[in-house]
Amino acid sequence: MNGTDNALMAQVGAGEVAKLAVLFERHHGALFRYFVSMNRNREWSEDLVQDVFFRMLRYRTSYDSKQSFTAWMYQIARNTNVDHAHKRRGEVVGIEEFTERRPEPASSAPGPEESAVRVQDLALLKRALDRLPSDKKEILILSRFQEMKYEDIAVVLGCEAGTVKVRVYRAMRALEEIYFTLAGEKAS
Amino acid sequence: MTCEEAKTLLSEYWSQTLDETRELAFDAHLAGCETCRAETERLGVLWKSLALLPVEEPSANLRGRFYETLGAFRQGLESAPRRSLREKIVSFWPRQPAWQMAVSFALLVLGVGVGYEIRPEKQEQPEVAQLRGEVSNMRQLVALSLMQQQSAGERLRGVGWAYQVEPSDTEVLSALLKAVNQDSSVNVRLAAADALHAFGASPGMRKAILEAIPKQSAPLVQIALIDLLVDLKKKEATPDLRALAADQAVHAGVRQRATWAVEKLQ
Repeated sequence: MNGTDNALMAQVGAGEVAKLAVLFERHHGALFRYFVSMNRNREWSEDLVQDVFFRMLRYRTSYDSKQSFTAWMYQIARNTNVDHAHKRRGEVVGIEEFTERRPEPASSAPGPEESAVRVQDLALLKRALDRLPSDKKEILILSRFQEMKYEDIAVVLGCEAGTVKVRVYRAMRALEEIYFTLAGEKAS
Repeated sequence: MTCEEAKTLLSEYWSQTLDETRELAFDAHLAGCETCRAETERLGVLWKSLALLPVEEPSANLRGRFYETLGAFRQGLESAPRRSLREKIVSFWPRQPAWQMAVSFALLVLGVGVGYEIRPEKQEQPEVAQLRGEVSNMRQLVALSLMQQQSAGERLRGVGWAYQVEPSDTEVLSALLKAVNQDSSVNVRLAAADALHAFGASPGMRKAILEAIPKQSAPLVQIALIDLLVDLKKKEATPDLRALAADQAVHAGVRQRATWAVEKLQ
């Protein structure tokens, strides 16, 4: 599918802008979920998706069909999100506040069975994900929800694919810590 | 395989994207390392559960807005291929009744002015000159007023009106440069950068653009400003662009564009 995406965007760049509609239909849902996961606001997220496609039109001629369309699109999405965050600084719930007061990881980590029972509480998992620092949350969204290739994520984040893998692991560890902290708060 | 190496393979293990050799090596490590085995299982449960989180879907409104924008963009391309963004911006009609009235009034004055202008009399009468001046002032007023609005959409429309003023209008030029440097919306900054094309002959333009580039937080706007220098054929900007292309602190995409611009200007 990616090859087709690349070819379509190249055609958009060559002046067939109507072809952007196909790319919109394929990717607007995933982009929306990326922004919702990052910002926790549906209205902003719809504006941001609109912005991304506007920028694709604006910079359609700068797209190189040899590069991955997905990586290019998420680079634009990321820039759009950063611009948005600058603009709305202060309105987003602070993640650092939470992470600063989180306790040390439990010395007796729960076993897989116990974890499985707890993980059924998806609402808690959602809250834990929301409270992850944005860099960790972003890498999990891209790798888990968007199911992007590590090579593409590396292009989007400007690092090596190997670094991406390590960062995914660290993000999962951080998610686990926050999840069990929340679960502990809920139980007490 | 060490524990550190095993950790780098975890996400691929969960996603089942490891090749056979690495999977065998990974399994062999887990068989001999209880800590890694427990962690792999524990985090693996979380990894699977992430896929069970409810999926958010956008409203139908998003699709409508996209097709509206795409339609306007295509229309702009078809009617004026070289000024697509300008046409797109100008095509936006204000939603607020007050601005609709202001724009309607401005268009009325413009229409009367044009009517006078195309009259058969060859010699311009003083009244016509006065009316033309009023039309020009009205355009300037609308552009400057809209560019000061809180809503980014209104400011974008103000930038659209900047195309209607005289290229010698220094007040509108200053407002556009201010928008490029300070506006909180990247779309307004981009549109303002585009609108500067019309003021290309103004003295100090090259300096103003070069000063604006490092102030930008958005690489897209920096690239738009570099494109502007190329479009305006500002060859004298070549040394500054070369320095920009060599500056490692600058975004890679911007450096690449600066290199391209240097080649174009030669």
